[in-house]
Amino acid sequence: MVDAALNALATFASPLRLGLLLVGVLAGLVVGILPGLGGIVAISLLLPLIFRLDPPTALATLTGALAVVYTADVITSVLVGTPGSPAAAPTAMEGHALARQGQAARALAAAFLSSVAGGLLGVVGLTLSIPVARPLVMLLGSPELFSFTVLGLAYAGSLLGRSPLRGLLSGLLGLLLGLVGPAPAAAEFRYTFGQLYLLDGLSLEVLALGVFGVAEVVSLLARGGAIARQAGLGGGWWDGVRDVLTHRWLVVRGALIGVWAGILPAIGATAASWMAYGHAVATSRDRDRFGRGDVRGIVAPESANNAATAGDLIPTLLFSVPGGPAAAVILGALYAYGVYPGPRLIQDHLDLVYVIVWSFSLANILGAAVCFALSPAVARLTHIPFAWVAPPLLVTMALGAYQTTRHAGDLLALLLLGLLGWAMKRSGWPRAPLLIGFVLAKPMERYFWLTVKLHGWSWLGHPGVLAIAALIVVPPLVAAVRRARAQSRPTPGRGVGAPATDTRPEPVAVFMAAVAVLAFGLGAGQGLGFQYDARLMPLLASVPGLFLGVVQLARVVRGEPVGPVDEEGVDDDGSPQRPRVQAELYGFGVVAAYLLGVWLVGFHVASFGFVALLLWQAGKVRPPLAVLSAAAALACFQLLAAGFDLRWPTGLLLR
Amino acid sequence: MRVLAAILTVAAALGLGGSVLAQPAYYAGKTIEVVVPFAPGGAADVGARFVAPFLEKHVAGNPRVSVRNVPGGGSMLGASFFAANAKPDGLMVLCTTSSTVFPWMFGHPSARYDLSKMRVAMTLAFGPVVYVSPRTGVRRPADLLRPAEPLVYGGIAATGSDLPVLIAFELLRLPVKVVLGFEGRGPVRLAFERGETNLDFQFTPVYLTQVVPLVRDGKAVPLFTGGAPNARGELVLRDPVVPDLPSVFEVYRELYGSRPAGPRWRAYEAAAALTFSYGLTWWVPEGTPEAALRALYESVDRIVADREFQERAKSVTGGYPLRRGDQVEAAVRKAMQPTLDVKKWIADLLRDKYNVRF
Repeated sequence: MVDAALNALATFASPLRLGLLLVGVLAGLVVGILPGLGGIVAISLLLPLIFRLDPPTALATLTGALAVVYTADVITSVLVGTPGSPAAAPTAMEGHALARQGQAARALAAAFLSSVAGGLLGVVGLTLSIPVARPLVMLLGSPELFSFTVLGLAYAGSLLGRSPLRGLLSGLLGLLLGLVGPAPAAAEFRYTFGQLYLLDGLSLEVLALGVFGVAEVVSLLARGGAIARQAGLGGGWWDGVRDVLTHRWLVVRGALIGVWAGILPAIGATAASWMAYGHAVATSRDRDRFGRGDVRGIVAPESANNAATAGDLIPTLLFSVPGGPAAAVILGALYAYGVYPGPRLIQDHLDLVYVIVWSFSLANILGAAVCFALSPAVARLTHIPFAWVAPPLLVTMALGAYQTTRHAGDLLALLLLGLLGWAMKRSGWPRAPLLIGFVLAKPMERYFWLTVKLHGWSWLGHPGVLAIAALIVVPPLVAAVRRARAQSRPTPGRGVGAPATDTRPEPVAVFMAAVAVLAFGLGAGQGLGFQYDARLMPLLASVPGLFLGVVQLARVVRGEPVGPVDEEGVDDDGSPQRPRVQAELYGFGVVAAYLLGVWLVGFHVASFGFVALLLWQAGKVRPPLAVLSAAAALACFQLLAAGFDLRWPTGLLLR
Repeated sequence: MRVLAAILTVAAALGLGGSVLAQPAYYAGKTIEVVVPFAPGGAADVGARFVAPFLEKHVAGNPRVSVRNVPGGGSMLGASFFAANAKPDGLMVLCTTSSTVFPWMFGHPSARYDLSKMRVAMTLAFGPVVYVSPRTGVRRPADLLRPAEPLVYGGIAATGSDLPVLIAFELLRLPVKVVLGFEGRGPVRLAFERGETNLDFQFTPVYLTQVVPLVRDGKAVPLFTGGAPNARGELVLRDPVVPDLPSVFEVYRELYGSRPAGPRWRAYEAAAALTFSYGLTWWVPEGTPEAALRALYESVDRIVADREFQERAKSVTGGYPLRRGDQVEAAVRKAMQPTLDVKKWIADLLRDKYNVRF
């Protein structure tokens, strides 16, 4: 085994191989940084090249690209609050809050370092698991997989925030959105409204971009000024490094969650991130800083999502069953070489396994090094006016969203989900449960039905199921007991909510509650018409949602203050003031106008006009310079699109 | 008669070859875009990408070939995209599986493409192998009628690649409990290994690499294959890649003592032809110039003769030959447009047993 490992390492002595690994790493970094583009884009970009290389070189290139996406996505997440990939959403929350407090460097350092640590721990897990994973995975039938999805959802419970009602509603809404498209257990397409675009359901990339990205851009545009509210890069790099060392066990636990989530077919990197985040929250005594820039909320998920990438490779290499969409492409590449991974892989192609292991490790280290090197420069971006950053950012988001299906529906979905995210943020609805509900809805439904159809009810007694059930039930019980004990001692009250002096209903909160009631009503109404195997989950999500939604609506109409909210709602300098709704609506209008423009007159014209106008109007750049910058930006995008084989909308009117 | 036909074909090919040499090749300096309506990494994508470099090498004029994935709607999105955007110039090619054909056959409202208005450029076969767990006590196909424990089959969806196998169960009147809803053939195989199901099929490359080790360990018993078409397109031959196993046709004869016939058999033949024998089909729009079609057809002959292709195809696709569109088009059309009673029989099965409403 050691021989094979060293032999595999020796293959990297070839400059071509090392060079192509670097090419892969660079592609992965660019794709990670650009919001909306996931690992699958990096890998698809490399595919034409791959099919002309020898297997070790091809695998090195692909693995290199895959390994670093979840390291590089940190940059966008921290600096502009837009997740560079869906799995970086927790980092976008916590890291960006830190960046706004002038601690971008600290957040970046902590995130990069925990990413590398997670990636390397994941590879160790991958290597160690090779002899034991097979019997282990053989123990995991549909009932256990179903139980794990429920466990994932239970983790979301610790993310409900200070208003359990809004948290629950958000999770249920996520479930409902996740159910759009084909039902796993029945021949039925749900909630597609006759739209071809919705046949496959909503894409996770567009959802994460809309709910977190667009909402953030709107707020930043409305607030004006630079992203960081304080001068200087703040605490600096060493603070971030120290943070990781202080929370080293959290990093390790995050990696374990990640590897495990990667092994399980139902749960991917995004769920892993949130589960690790929920774990960090649940195991912390002082939770005040979560949602407002807590470094523990960065290190755990960042470690987890890199480890999940390694974990994804375990079922891929041992069973020929891809652990995720990107791993599916690696599997496809192996197939194309006539290598069918599986029981024989260890005997026949151990060298290839080690090429993957080494590539993954090298790429993780290389990727983080490049990120560290880039960061001082990119961290400065937080100090220039946001109006200069916003146009190219939004153009990238539109381009990224459009790559998921290359259908105009992507743009509309981005806009509507952006509106949803903004309204949720504005009304104090936590967005984490939405994303978790969304990613777990389908696997949960799939494995529930498989379980029931294959096992009847006997599965409830399976030891694995009971163990996972204990994992779900025991921690909340322990926490409740602790809380009950703590309550016997007087604790200083935390200021939850502003003093209720203003009892006029907040319009956005009313809008949000009404949208939820409407969505759940529609969900329940249509859900009743589905056939039996397709009806249960939609009704489980929408009926309670409808009731809770009505309660929430009644509350906000009576004028319950939204108050300082869990996620980044309070400005970190302590001022309770938030940008006025009008200003944010203006920001939203800008976004909407641009996306509609792309749809109508095509990507080039709309982007050019948008960048120039925004620089001139909001960025106070002189018109000739604005036009010049817009042209330069467009040239950059042209280059990017050519390099990455991206497509853009040609425009309805200009066809 | 056959010798005469062969001579004529060779003569025609030589003549055409001469005329091709005389004028510049249709595809010289051009790019062929192969639209794959599935996500990267699946069987269709792997097949399309595996063949692409050989097209570059062997299509006269050596065009660049780029593969573009347009996934969505169980492949309906990509096929509709192709129908809306492809011009009849042979520069955009659609690569489909039965997942694209079935929704169109049964008039799914989202299937906004008309395969009867497209030409077949080439096809590649997939071969299925059906196997059971030894716990069922089944050692040979005949035992299937009296299993020691109830037969449980895991599948993905009734309208996809499971359809011919589900029809085969009907044809052979096997007592099978069918559980659909798995994510893919890989997870189904894992469920089989765990003992959650005990009857499964896998395509030959996966069968040879993943299931044969199980067979050796006594954890799986191979039973039969889907069969292969004879010259008239009837699925009566054995699968050339797994010639030791009987075909569905033979199993029926063994169980019931007569040739299978009637709508059930023809339904099986149609579904199996579309899923297996012509499992991967490359299409171009109707009206594509003859020069383009000819260049594609002729490339198939050269690819099949390419040693490197033969060598790699053995492990990638199981070694089934690529077929020329002009040679299989009639059979593909026949399978795609079955007689009304056959179509109705399939639709009834899907509706009554699997709740599929069209």
